[in-house]
Amino acid sequence: MKNKGKHIGFVLFVVFAVLPFTLAFGYALLYSFGIIGVVNEGFTLSFWKEVFTSGTLGTSFLYSGIIAAVGVFLSVSLALWVVLKFKEGFNNKYLSFIIYMPLAVPGIVSAFFTYQLFAQSGFFARLSYQLNWIETAQQFPDLVNDNWAIGIIITFISLLTPFFILLYLNIYKDERIEELSQLSRALGANKKQIALKVSLPIMLKKSWVLIVLYFIFLLGAYEVPLILGQESPQMLSVLILRELKQFDLTKTSEGYVMAVVYTVVIMSATIFIFSRKKLRNNAY
Amino acid sequence: MMQRFLFFLLFAITLFLMSCENPKESRNWKQASWQEIEQQANDTTVNFMMWQGSPIVNDYINNYVKPTLKEKHNITLNISSGQGPEIVQLMMGEKQAGSEKGQVDMVWINGETFFQLRKIEGLWGPFTEKLPNSQYIDFNNPFIGIDFQQEINGMECPWGINQFAFVYDSIKTPAPPKTLAELETFVKVNPGTFTISNDFSGMTLLKCYMAELSGSPDGLDGEFDQQKYDTLSTQLWEYINRNRKYFWKEGQTFPKEHSKMDQMFSSGEILLTYGFSEGGIEEKVLQGLFPESTKGYAWKNGTILNSNYLGITYNATNKAGAMQVINFLISPEAQLKRAEPSGMNANPVLDISKLPTEYKDKFEKITARQYGPSLDELSENAIKEPAPEYMLNIYEDFRTYVIEK
Repeated sequence: MKNKGKHIGFVLFVVFAVLPFTLAFGYALLYSFGIIGVVNEGFTLSFWKEVFTSGTLGTSFLYSGIIAAVGVFLSVSLALWVVLKFKEGFNNKYLSFIIYMPLAVPGIVSAFFTYQLFAQSGFFARLSYQLNWIETAQQFPDLVNDNWAIGIIITFISLLTPFFILLYLNIYKDERIEELSQLSRALGANKKQIALKVSLPIMLKKSWVLIVLYFIFLLGAYEVPLILGQESPQMLSVLILRELKQFDLTKTSEGYVMAVVYTVVIMSATIFIFSRKKLRNNAY
Repeated sequence: MMQRFLFFLLFAITLFLMSCENPKESRNWKQASWQEIEQQANDTTVNFMMWQGSPIVNDYINNYVKPTLKEKHNITLNISSGQGPEIVQLMMGEKQAGSEKGQVDMVWINGETFFQLRKIEGLWGPFTEKLPNSQYIDFNNPFIGIDFQQEINGMECPWGINQFAFVYDSIKTPAPPKTLAELETFVKVNPGTFTISNDFSGMTLLKCYMAELSGSPDGLDGEFDQQKYDTLSTQLWEYINRNRKYFWKEGQTFPKEHSKMDQMFSSGEILLTYGFSEGGIEEKVLQGLFPESTKGYAWKNGTILNSNYLGITYNATNKAGAMQVINFLISPEAQLKRAEPSGMNANPVLDISKLPTEYKDKFEKITARQYGPSLDELSENAIKEPAPEYMLNIYEDFRTYVIEK
């Protein structure tokens, strides 16, 4: 019976996950070589050559990687700090409600919210104007569609931090870190030593895989950088969609080249992470 | 004997099924009379893909066109949302899949999409001559019969006509720039208040600038000229790069869409915006987005005047119904309703002099716009849409030589 259930699960996985993905990937691959496509004229390597010589994809990978890494790093750091500092506070009904509320907010809404608050014509700029801190909108610091992707990172933090807080609160409880900390204190460790040598290593080790997965998730984010990013460089998904929808239909295949490269890189990274048994077994 | 009978039976069934296969669409509608088309269109459903970004346009379609079509022609009109790129993507996908029964029967397009759809042979036609109401349209008007420097040849039916206009607040900016030289001074005096959107509107603006650099309003007319483009575009990118430090966000980035520029204009972040439909001023002032002191004008060398069109998809399952709907949309009645100042306030695409007296009077009685300029006021400075290759190159080069520089 159990075996039968396993089989059905496997079949469903193949039918609903593997098959559509494989077909879509095959379609993109054929399109990227010009084999299919209404305006394409047959097999060619020119689209691949164009993508690799232009350097736009490389820049976008680097740019997306840095933003995703900074976003994850700051979110995890903030969540760890909040959990270790205020863990008792989460027993308070209202405080926990405020912390968990952003979990229910979709990315696109969050991005608009950031725009309304931080744009040069947004809430804080208007407040600064009313308080006579600035005289024109241009004097307000550039926080959205900016060079440093500050708006994107702020939104990523607001989306990820509540999740990591929830995760670390559970790890803290399940791994009995409170008891371990008391034991360490009894053995003479100070607060800093407890945090650095006991709490943090356990929490990070247990959440490592999720941190990496969230990094990959942010790497492929679309709505947030679409609304808050700048026109160049662009994050990967925004760039790929732009190439796919461009006015010059003869260049649509370049978008498929980028999509194929992106998929191969992300799939390889994911397989590599999950094939490392040690990490998987230790993961939360 | 039995085998032979079975063979015949199978053959008969196959023949029957083949004859049943959509008998309506096996007809050649290009040869049919209007009466036959009308009969066929009766009691059918037409799927119309259109841009749904304007509440006023949606109101016109949902509360006037749909019920009137149902009442007069017994046609149910289904609307699906999608503009240029979505329509092209859908058509490309259906072509790729060899789909003979399209999801959509008719589409609302402009020259940009017409060019793309023609490239993939995504439109059915010619059909405009079939429509009785096309007699009221002056196809010899170059702003109507020619789209992006190419004759429409009955493959799309004009629905509206409008001009690109600049928009400013007359209180904040009493003397807005009207030439590239004046714009250069303007951005230096008012840094951060001007930008170019990286979309259709922004590219249209660049075409207007390029026409000015050519030295005459019709400098870009005719077929695409690579040498002319190279010379003029080099000058244009040099002009923009020289002045971009005075643009919005010091010219380090450009807004993705024109709608964002309208928002920034309404919040006072920028002082100058632009757009088709004579800048869309009337609608936005009435909505409360723009202040009442908003005014519009054409560039001294001219701004682009063009039409928007209705097309029938190559694989439409209800071509007769689509023709009936398009014929209704260009009827004097529907165009009059579309022109009402309290409604869409759109310029009729009909030649008023060709209309029956009853409608002539009605069109002449339409009250003038309160805020935005009329097409007549701007028409002196109207220029034609250049060949599509200009747009193709400008899109690409604006990114390469300006955005990514």
